[in-house]
Amino acid sequence: MPVTSEQNVSAPSQTQDAPFAPQDVLLRMQADLKRALQKPAHERRWIMVIDLRKCVGCSACTIGCVVENKLPPGVVYRPVIEEEIGTYPNVTRRFLPRPCMQCDNPPCVPVCPVNATYQRADGIVEINYNQCIGCRYCVTACPYGARTFDFGATYSEGTPEAAGLILGQSAAQTMEREPNFEYGRAWPREGEASPIGNVRKCQFCIHRLEAGMLPACTTTCIGRATYFGDANDPQSLVSELIAQPNVMRLKEELGTAPKVYYLM
Amino acid sequence: MLWFKRLIWLGVAVAIALGAWGIFARLTTGHSEANYGSYVVWGLWVAMYLFFVGIAAGMFMFATLDLLFHVPLLRGTGRLALFLTLITLGAGLVHIWLDLGHLDRIWKVYLQGNLFSVMGQIVWGYTIFGLLTAFALLLTLDWFKTPAWLLRVVMIIGLGLAFFLSGAVGALLGVQIARPFWHIGLFPVQFPVFSIGSALALFLAVWAFFGPRSDARYARQIQVLAISVVVLQLIKTYFVWADFSQSMYGGVPMNVQAVEEVMFGQYWWAFWLLQIGVGTVIPIIILLVPQLRAHYWLAGAAGVMVLIGFAVARANIVFPALTIPEIDALANAFNDPRLQFNYFPSAMEWAVTLGILGLTTAAFLIAYDHLKFLKLKEAN
Repeated sequence: MPVTSEQNVSAPSQTQDAPFAPQDVLLRMQADLKRALQKPAHERRWIMVIDLRKCVGCSACTIGCVVENKLPPGVVYRPVIEEEIGTYPNVTRRFLPRPCMQCDNPPCVPVCPVNATYQRADGIVEINYNQCIGCRYCVTACPYGARTFDFGATYSEGTPEAAGLILGQSAAQTMEREPNFEYGRAWPREGEASPIGNVRKCQFCIHRLEAGMLPACTTTCIGRATYFGDANDPQSLVSELIAQPNVMRLKEELGTAPKVYYLM
Repeated sequence: MLWFKRLIWLGVAVAIALGAWGIFARLTTGHSEANYGSYVVWGLWVAMYLFFVGIAAGMFMFATLDLLFHVPLLRGTGRLALFLTLITLGAGLVHIWLDLGHLDRIWKVYLQGNLFSVMGQIVWGYTIFGLLTAFALLLTLDWFKTPAWLLRVVMIIGLGLAFFLSGAVGALLGVQIARPFWHIGLFPVQFPVFSIGSALALFLAVWAFFGPRSDARYARQIQVLAISVVVLQLIKTYFVWADFSQSMYGGVPMNVQAVEEVMFGQYWWAFWLLQIGVGTVIPIIILLVPQLRAHYWLAGAAGVMVLIGFAVARANIVFPALTIPEIDALANAFNDPRLQFNYFPSAMEWAVTLGILGLTTAAFLIAYDHLKFLKLKEAN
């Protein structure tokens, strides 16, 4: 029997010792993740499920992502789109987090003139920063606006200078120049070196996945509205969630086959 | 004419000075002084790339009228057309090179390229096209004893390549399902017509301002060029009508929004005043009325106006499609100056374009004055 997302918050786990104890979905997804990592990469199919009924629009996922990937100004991987629906008195707000859809048929991949963006065996669309020439053709090709360009800016530009090492622009810039660890290697922000001058996007936190951790947006979601896991594993929570009738994907009619599902 | 040339040189000097600042700023501060962002991700330079490489392809097609098809009226114009092909191609390629995030990685397109990418095909294609044009120009100089068939073969290959490349520039945009405004099968058909139209307008301007007025065929040449430009302008206008009317009638929201953006949005003045008014209506009147086009400076000015119209038309293809959010309300999802759906080129972007235009014009003026082989051989 399919398990709803509401039920899952206290659903019995199939992987823990006390099968009837309440379990947070994060723990279940963590177990799902570990199970998936034991399989060869081509047998995994990472997907994300976002329950729009649970999303409160707090943008914790956006901020978690910015911090995790040390995103500079102008680069955002997972904005939360807010929409007001209806007219008074029948009015409500909808919040739609929009990560990269990691499409099965990604329009951004074939257009790249240098093969800098490609699909991994597990389906995640990756960017090779050292290969990308920064032509931004892939940005125009994405139907979801999920790709942004790194202009090399820092948040501390134009902020006041202060004496000492722990205050002011210099200190802040030191922090901003710290490397991020996307794609499993360190990317310090130095001069014009990549990822500056590159197109950037959500990659489901590959570096975290490979270390056995869930994506940052999933763990920071205060409403437990974001789910992540292997759709090829019938035991996984996400497999159960996408088997429900209230599932939709964005712009399916384009044939992109997104791997981000929304529960309505 | 001396005062006219001095005036042009003054404009060229100002443009190059501004361009020097712009290119310096681009090379030292990267893209930080540009106004395009992550949503309107292509700006003035991409539009100018489309404009200049379009002229280059069209100009090569025009050169074949003399060098391949041997049209008597145009005999002797082929070399100049090939030279114009080269310098406009250079202007386009410099624009797009400066638009890259990593200028030093352009070699990757050649050595590690993806030939399934339309952009990859275009880069390779224009490189071969440029070399072929230079080779064809060399063959016309009679410096070497080469058989006539060789030039013919080069021009045939070049003609095919020119059509393919101008169509491919349309396909560069047309293949994108993300942008209904671009995703129309007509684009690769329209662009070669735009290319020929803009190339003829440029040649009309050059010929009217600098051509050999003592040549017996001159008045007739201007007349034929003028009528050809008018016909192509009418075809171009028909394409715009067909495109916009179908989009509006079809009612696909992203498509309708983009068309409305062009006609009534932030770029309305560029469309109505520059593309339609200055670029289409006024030059058509000038070039259709024999008494007006008989003033050669006026015919030349009409050519320049058509070029302005084409440049704006290219911009009106690139910008508006990008100013429509892929998902409603995306504009307000994350506030940042680079995450906006409105765009107007920055001073640095204008300066770079003016500089490239100035350098291209200077290259033409110097070459036309000092390279005798570019002059029409009246004896021919």
